[in-house]
Amino acid sequence: MTATRCPSDLALEAHLLDPARSAVAGHLEGCPGCRERLARMEREGAEFRQYVYPATVDAVAQAAGPRPRRRWLVAVGPLVAAAGAGLVFLLWPGPSPDYVGIKGGALGLSVFVGGAEGVRAVADGEGVPASAALRFQVRPEAPCRLWIVSVDASGQVSRIFPAEGEGGAAVSAPGPLPGGAMLDGRAGPERIYAVCGREALPYARVEAAVREAAGGGERAVRAAAQLRNLPEGSRQATLLLEKRP
Amino acid sequence: MSDHREQAGRLYREYGPAVYRRCLRLLGDRERARDATQEVFVRLVRDMRRLEDRENVLPWIYRVATNHCLNLRRDVRRRGEEALDQGLELAPQVPADAYPERQLAQKVLSRFDAETQAVAVGVFVDGMEHEEVAAALGVSRRTVARKLDRFLANARKYLARGEP
Repeated sequence: MTATRCPSDLALEAHLLDPARSAVAGHLEGCPGCRERLARMEREGAEFRQYVYPATVDAVAQAAGPRPRRRWLVAVGPLVAAAGAGLVFLLWPGPSPDYVGIKGGALGLSVFVGGAEGVRAVADGEGVPASAALRFQVRPEAPCRLWIVSVDASGQVSRIFPAEGEGGAAVSAPGPLPGGAMLDGRAGPERIYAVCGREALPYARVEAAVREAAGGGERAVRAAAQLRNLPEGSRQATLLLEKRP
Repeated sequence: MSDHREQAGRLYREYGPAVYRRCLRLLGDRERARDATQEVFVRLVRDMRRLEDRENVLPWIYRVATNHCLNLRRDVRRRGEEALDQGLELAPQVPADAYPERQLAQKVLSRFDAETQAVAVGVFVDGMEHEEVAAALGVSRRTVARKLDRFLANARKYLARGEP
């Protein structure tokens, strides 16, 4: 036995990384239990190098590469032209009373996808063509400042609406949003968030929350139904799309 | 392969084992740990400069991996999937009277916010001193003490009432 308290796993990690500067080497000499812990950690490290690293390094390296170009093509841009906006709204009607593409409580988000069969609302987790054109509709409970953003399995966070400015777009009533988006053509999950703040909400704050919740691969995107660390009173809604080739 | 990618591969080889061990410890499942390791490192390589900072990188890795894996545990439970509902064993150096049981049940952990969960796991599962937890999570010692007190008081209540 040794008189000093057994080191934490984190302290043992530091020892494994740099044994020459270890603060726990003395303890390890006198503690068979900790030597056994260390041996187990080394076995797990070998397991990583043998099985995990080869299977996952490509995905990690790819994530470290240069950022892909902006993936979303804002289909109709700011739509300041009234005629253009009218045309779009005609082409993209509102949801039927029984539509299911809405998630969230005090803030509702509907996502519509266009295709050969016309426009339809998308259900949470539903498969859509990887290059589908999307439109959005929100239903705020009260006036607020809205952002629509998305994140995919590579961790890329895309700003969808509003395309310009800071603080979010002021919305106060249910309705379709101007503009739209085109998916990037890559298969995999894409999660869309609507976030609405009581007051001006910096985009950086929303982006950080999305990265924190969902910026870690396919599983994280699928699981991240809740954003954290948003300003108090912020409302949010989300919907998952599965992009199919 | 670009320089960035080579650098990421090298850093992954060096620090990946620490992430994998962390995920294995918190998820208790090799397949989930493998996926989580990749997901965590995808997040880490976005800040390559920080990852190259040998003096300070380990607490950061610990924090990101811990938060990610605790999130996974919460989400899996929320979806009703199997296998992560087992508790986390307390570290051997944690005194017998420090906590009513020798493991932290997921059902108890899930009652607390993410930061409180990380504090409780740091102290009871990883066997860290308050100061070490504070440094690893990037919070003050006072925050650690406060969150731990609240965790203990409420966890004892839940367990005494037979909850969950």
